[in-house]
Amino acid sequence: MKSFTRDRAALFWTLAFPLIFVVLFGSIFSGGNSDRTIGFADLDHSAGSAALQSAFDSIPNVKLVDGSEPDLLAKMRKGDVTAVIVVPTGYEATVTAKQAPADVTVYTDPSQSAADGATRQLVGFVLSEVNQAATGLPPAVEPSFQPVQTTDLTFISYLVPSILGMSLMQLGVFAAIPLVADRQKLILKRLQATPLRRWQLVGSNVLMRLLIAVVQTAIIVGVGSVAFHVQIAGSWLLIGSLILLGSLAFIALGYVIASFATTEESANGMTSAVQFPLMFLSGTFFPIDAMPDALRTVARALPLTYLGDGLRQVMVDGTPFSPLWLCFVVLIAWLVGCFTIAAKFFKWQ
Amino acid sequence: MSTAIRGAADPVIRVEGLKKFYGETRAVDGVGFEVRGGTVFGLLGPNGAGKTTTVEVLEGLRTPDAGDVHVLGVDVVAHPDQLKPRIGVSLQTAALYPRLTVVEVLDLFRSFYGHGRPTDELVELMDLGEKRSTRTQNLSGGQRQRLSVALALVNDPELVFLDEPTTGMDPAARRALWDIVLGLKAEGRSILLTTHYMEEAEVLCDRIAIMDHGRILEEGTVEDLVSRRFKERAVRFDTIDALSDVKLSAMPGVTSVKHEDGAVLLYTSDVPATIGAVLDAAEVAGVEPANLAVRRATLEDVFLDLTGRALRD
Repeated sequence: MKSFTRDRAALFWTLAFPLIFVVLFGSIFSGGNSDRTIGFADLDHSAGSAALQSAFDSIPNVKLVDGSEPDLLAKMRKGDVTAVIVVPTGYEATVTAKQAPADVTVYTDPSQSAADGATRQLVGFVLSEVNQAATGLPPAVEPSFQPVQTTDLTFISYLVPSILGMSLMQLGVFAAIPLVADRQKLILKRLQATPLRRWQLVGSNVLMRLLIAVVQTAIIVGVGSVAFHVQIAGSWLLIGSLILLGSLAFIALGYVIASFATTEESANGMTSAVQFPLMFLSGTFFPIDAMPDALRTVARALPLTYLGDGLRQVMVDGTPFSPLWLCFVVLIAWLVGCFTIAAKFFKWQ
Repeated sequence: MSTAIRGAADPVIRVEGLKKFYGETRAVDGVGFEVRGGTVFGLLGPNGAGKTTTVEVLEGLRTPDAGDVHVLGVDVVAHPDQLKPRIGVSLQTAALYPRLTVVEVLDLFRSFYGHGRPTDELVELMDLGEKRSTRTQNLSGGQRQRLSVALALVNDPELVFLDEPTTGMDPAARRALWDIVLGLKAEGRSILLTTHYMEEAEVLCDRIAIMDHGRILEEGTVEDLVSRRFKERAVRFDTIDALSDVKLSAMPGVTSVKHEDGAVLLYTSDVPATIGAVLDAAEVAGVEPANLAVRRATLEDVFLDLTGRALRD
């Protein structure tokens, strides 16, 4: 009902934590592959090797560094370059002779599998162009890359609604901790001796959390669209009702935890026990379709799966995992279920 | 100041046959008493006597297993919500939001009522001026108690419940609180307090009920309780081994002999004769009675006599 703006530290973390997630993952996944530095050791110093070098250089995102073979290998060990290409002496001669294939050595680091794979592809691509140019024949098959349907669904735009869902989940589930703390400190008992009604107390707590949910949404969506150009498609009415319903369902879940936790410590433990599986099994960080069957079955029962899925569908036209109406139905079911349990078992003293 | 000053004859609290059990434990086992308006009533007893449970039923915080409880004319069990705006409550353990400041807590609690006393007035009354912007988690035990009492007064209540209000306070703070309680009474308010300090009860309470094991053993004014049990005065001195209880009880005027903290208490109807006999007997034994004193029986004596043990066990 009235001013419950205590606990400034918790407030800060509620708002900052998801933000850190967005920024962190956003930077990793959107800008991560921009700079690939490759060492290029040209021992042949011929027109042919120069052509090869410019072929590599022309690839966007690739920066070539000249140097001697041992120098470049040392740099690679230090992590300054991701791979080293060595063009041996006599490269051009071998290529023009067309008797045997010219030998180009590529050093990569298999322990960095993603970078390793990308380098192999890149080198293979360039060399096939060179090969093809050398043979003078037109390519038999040429891929033509056409972006399809999932227009802008980069990982970050998958992530923004997911993290919003996760934040709402945490916001709700964490309702348990201050509630149990207040009970343990007998504050709830003291409040009972005032004319303040229980529904007013619960109402003010829920209202406060919903307000934070709105602020959270604004921050996450704001950062997502300003910093990472995530397009928010879809109706704000639908988004709003999903957020409202999701928040309520998770606050109810928080009250269920508060019904069974007796001390602040046990509330902390139970909250973690609930929120971590929700966080990782509900498709927040990677799609549920990528999970093994057993986990997918679990995911299918979790409310965050449906909140995240619903938000992705509505906000960024994400591929549906379940139809939107099912998202609403499951969230309502969780809300009603948790509310019933909490109403039955919650103790004020 | 006070919203309603009731006639001294109207009981502000009427309790009959109150019972509250926790499983096998009979926390309150048939308690009944009345408190008249404008008076201070004390529930006195050791820890675990059932004082707090009784008070919490009266405050509407617990539902009794049996009994009839009327506070300010309201049936507490049936209509606790009618009572709550009119009473002030200080729980045994001060229950405060740790991160709010003194003034914030007072303002918050005041917002629960449609009426009340200005926060500044309460801060001054409870001498919390220096601490008004301090978070409650950083207050000392005594300061928390004072804030808890201040919270009991935010709504300008007709009846104030103070459960062990001076626990954890130093003697000066305790005396300051006594003045506040007497001030509340002077304003026409009624006060129910629990305590295990005899002195506190003697100073503050118009009437007292002594509780032990969930029952009221004796009830009345301090004067009543003492004189009902002890018409005599007590002659007190440090224990002298040579004087056996048999010898002591044979002395003139002595009606009973008690021992307390290394001292002997001789209850007597003839103080000079008893003192003379004690001095004579001590001289024969070759010792001088140390800390010889005469005193009226106190509540402490009453409690000792009722329960066979000291209150602070």
